[in-house]
Amino acid sequence: MPKVHKRHDPSDIFIHWFNAACWFLLLLTGIGLIRNPAIDPFGSGYPEAMRAMVGGGGNLLLIHEFIGLAWLVGFLLYLVVNFKGALFFLSEVFPVSMGRDMTWMMKKIVLMTLGPKALKMVGLDPELPDQGYYNMGQKAFAQASVVGGVVIAVTGVIMFLSDRSFGAEATGMISWSIALHFIAVGLVFAGLLVHIYMAAISPEERPGFKSMFTGVVPDGYAKHHHRLWWEKIKTEGE
Amino acid sequence: MAQQLAMVIDAAKCIDCKGCVAACKVANDVPTGQWRNWIKPTVEEVPIPGLLKSKPKFQPGACMHCENPTCVDACPTGATYKDKETGEVVINNALCIGCGNCIPSCPYDARFRNEVTRKADKCNYCPERRAAGLPPACVDTCPTKARVFGDINDPESAAGILYRKNKDRLTRISARTDTKPNMFYVGDPGHGDWGGEAVVPASMVAMKQSAPLIKGIVGLSGLGVLAMLGRQLLVGSDAEHKEDSDA
Repeated sequence: MPKVHKRHDPSDIFIHWFNAACWFLLLLTGIGLIRNPAIDPFGSGYPEAMRAMVGGGGNLLLIHEFIGLAWLVGFLLYLVVNFKGALFFLSEVFPVSMGRDMTWMMKKIVLMTLGPKALKMVGLDPELPDQGYYNMGQKAFAQASVVGGVVIAVTGVIMFLSDRSFGAEATGMISWSIALHFIAVGLVFAGLLVHIYMAAISPEERPGFKSMFTGVVPDGYAKHHHRLWWEKIKTEGE
Repeated sequence: MAQQLAMVIDAAKCIDCKGCVAACKVANDVPTGQWRNWIKPTVEEVPIPGLLKSKPKFQPGACMHCENPTCVDACPTGATYKDKETGEVVINNALCIGCGNCIPSCPYDARFRNEVTRKADKCNYCPERRAAGLPPACVDTCPTKARVFGDINDPESAAGILYRKNKDRLTRISARTDTKPNMFYVGDPGHGDWGGEAVVPASMVAMKQSAPLIKGIVGLSGLGVLAMLGRQLLVGSDAEHKEDSDA
């Protein structure tokens, strides 16, 4: 019995951190591109400062577009290198078992914020249902990232092409792209806050966090957090 | 007082020669079929031959660099903005991607999506000419001097003098959305139906209305994280998780 189990391919680890770096820079520059008192998240001081730092809003837009294109190219390269891995990811992330996964989600939220006593008080067993390769929280954020990521990429490309190839007939589509780009980023960002806390700050998933560098998780962690996956690799091999 | 660049137009002097329209196109390289300025005729009554009661009136117009520019409110990035120094409504071409939100937001139809640059376009009072000490092309070319341009807050400027002298009878285009345009007509230029309503595109309305919702969702998520962090710091992690330690 191995002490550790393989969880991530080097290409998976690369795309995760590449994506994280791109998202961070795209958020930083993207929020600086919104300047309208009815929308800008931190007020106009932030966009002014970002624009002043790079020598104007036009430069900030160019930087944002360049990083966005690099992000897209990085993802396409990942798909070329590890298409099987991407398919495996999608097949693990999207199927949701209503009873098992929804119960897990509800209980986990209460456990993380109020503790097991809160569940016992309403007569519920604080034990969580067993989870597979990903737990429901990871699945929910992955689903939001995939769907949100596709919306962000498609609307981003439309906006990139707007003043390069589109004519007046496309203005409605471009305007909707801005709105959807903004909404999708906002929703994914809300999930990202929880993702970062669970992975990097909460001690519960520490071995999972480490696996995003090493690619492997210890046997005990796999058994406790991903029981169904652990049982599967026990019977079928890795 | 800050500058307010404006046009003061004596509509009675306009002879509808279209000199201003042609000069603007040449000076600013405006694509075929698109226009930064115009002259609109108004005939209040159908003239009966031999019994002409009212003369046709002409309204020279262009972007009016409004006091309350609805186009600026409709721009998500601030690519179009009101310059605080000069009072002009400016388009930053490097930042504009041609989303078109500002176009129906102008009640005077002063904006269009330039076919060549694919960005929003409109009158900018010819900054290159002004830098060279010349007036905007339309003003320079006007044979009857119907169009007068300058800082109306400067009592010494031609526009300032005309503005002060005629203060009581200056009119603005009365659009259904009153944006307080900085284009003033001496006397009644006739009432054409070219002051419309500012229409903010549904996508921009959706973006503005979803903004507080998005902020709320991000805020809730942040609160959730803080609650989890608080619990982690106060109670510590569950004892059962100690087994996960891979140390």
